[in-house]
Amino acid sequence: MTVKWLMHFQPNQGTTLTSQVMAEACAVAESFPGVSRDGRWRSAMTFYRAVPRDQSLPAPSDLPRDLIGISLHDLPNEYLFVMRSQRLILRAHSSVQTVMDKLQSYKGRFFINFEGLQYKWGDFKLRIGKCLYNPNEALRGIVMEVEYLPLSSMDKSQRVMEEFYEIWREAVASKLLAGQFINTEVNFVEYGLGDSYTPQHTAVLYGMCVVQVIASSNKNQ
Amino acid sequence: MEPQQQAGSGDAPPKQVAQAMDRLGRAARLIAEIRLGADRILEALLVSNENPRLSEKAAELTLGEEDAMRRHFLDLRTVGKQLEDSGVLSGALRSRGNSWGLHMPLVCPDGAVVAYAWKRQLAGQAGASAVDRARLALKAFSDQKRRIFPQLEDDQLNRSNNDTIKFPPTKRPRLSHRPTQSPNIDSTEQKPMLADILKSIQTEAPGVTISTYQRLEWSKRAESLASTMNDSSLEQPKEQILSNLSASFNEVAVIELVASGVFRVLVSLHPAGSTDPDAVAFFSPNEGGSYLHSRGMSVHHVFKHVTEYADKALQYFQSSDPNKALSHLLSWICSHQSLFTKNCSKCSKLLAMDKSLALLLPPVHRPYLLNSKDHDQDFATAYHIGCSSYDV
Repeated sequence: MTVKWLMHFQPNQGTTLTSQVMAEACAVAESFPGVSRDGRWRSAMTFYRAVPRDQSLPAPSDLPRDLIGISLHDLPNEYLFVMRSQRLILRAHSSVQTVMDKLQSYKGRFFINFEGLQYKWGDFKLRIGKCLYNPNEALRGIVMEVEYLPLSSMDKSQRVMEEFYEIWREAVASKLLAGQFINTEVNFVEYGLGDSYTPQHTAVLYGMCVVQVIASSNKNQ
Repeated sequence: MEPQQQAGSGDAPPKQVAQAMDRLGRAARLIAEIRLGADRILEALLVSNENPRLSEKAAELTLGEEDAMRRHFLDLRTVGKQLEDSGVLSGALRSRGNSWGLHMPLVCPDGAVVAYAWKRQLAGQAGASAVDRARLALKAFSDQKRRIFPQLEDDQLNRSNNDTIKFPPTKRPRLSHRPTQSPNIDSTEQKPMLADILKSIQTEAPGVTISTYQRLEWSKRAESLASTMNDSSLEQPKEQILSNLSASFNEVAVIELVASGVFRVLVSLHPAGSTDPDAVAFFSPNEGGSYLHSRGMSVHHVFKHVTEYADKALQYFQSSDPNKALSHLLSWICSHQSLFTKNCSKCSKLLAMDKSLALLLPPVHRPYLLNSKDHDQDFATAYHIGCSSYDV
């Protein structure tokens, strides 16, 4: 799988996030020469909470209380679970969601959708999307995924991605958006993930990123 | 459907290719008709379900559609048989003797049609007449000559370099390159042996894994790489390490250099077993498939540009030092391990926007000019396309 970085938009202190920012971010992307729009993308995240079988007994302590489930736009047949506390990732077939519904051992508590526009720029693919809280479609954040197609090694692509990030930040700053994009930093080694990029890496990135997005949106409200 | 005359084996390959493309088009239209027919039948069923009064009309329509669909299926079967016979679906005609370097259009398992496995400059012209093709070939060669040998325009340069620049007798045969038998050519005494060259490169660049293949072995490996990539498994297949190879260096036709996570480069030798490099191409380590060969082209822009530049480097090495062309080429290739980490020697940045190409690229031009004393040659500088000076 090819290397991806994930960033989220941090609005300036005191400003609120609106859809206007999403439009402005897309305009920045489109302002680079040679960028072409490549359709839309959509990923979905579910926050599961454990439902104890017997309400009177305390929940066993070694089982995770919270579980994140992610369906990624580029892997429609798969579903990934991330257990942040145990640092575990599970990759399953997408039909596992039906199993979860039937088992009812974990119930989906709230849902976040990522959706937006996709761009192709030479060897890079950019995906800018809104982070929407499912029931009421409230905008919680804006994320951007950057993919560098020729490389799959995290290590070898580090410098390329860093420089791209700098170029992107400069462009965003020069267009005077009310905030900046912050990269999601993850220690993949803790999750047992190696140098070769996989969907598991993406799942972990999204898990971390969403935490930061929710934190920053709560702060600004 | 109007009857189509069969392409006899006496027909010229371009006509066969044209007919194959035509049949593929018909097949696609038939499939579309069938889909439409199925839609109409479904619609008729729905209508008759909602509106019992119209059920008789719907039944008539359905019967009519059924007839039409049956005819379409029969036609499709015929076209399919014709395509199969002409080798389109199986790629069996890859190495026909008189195919003029043309291949039948190949239908890949995912439905994509590969019309021309031929030189990219003349893509789209396989159905044209021989005169057109010759004209296009001449244009392609003059363009290339201007690009790769700009110094040939200049007479003075030509005269002064007359002694040292010799064009090798076997320039890369672009038109009629086909897999040849591998003659048992012994390397001459003046030229170093292939095994020695590879060993010395391996010690010079320990980060690069070098493997050698016979031509057919490489085709199989290229195909297998495609399926491994689709697994998206964490482990890459184990590369054949140099010491485990069979000792039959006199049949080696393809050298593969892999720098983990950075590139996969293919160099072909012509004739097989010699130390004369013939073509070179750079690919991403995550690419796989039958287009992975020394005359193929990567799908990624960065590697496309490096490959184009490598063509020039190869020509330069062949013309300035034919006996050591392979060693120079391999050293030069190995210097690309830092392709994604070394900053441009002119502007000190890694990524730069190339205005004319509208692409962000790392420095893909590494100068290949040799010093007069050619030991300790180190191809250490790198430039962006826009930063490199013209004659490098």
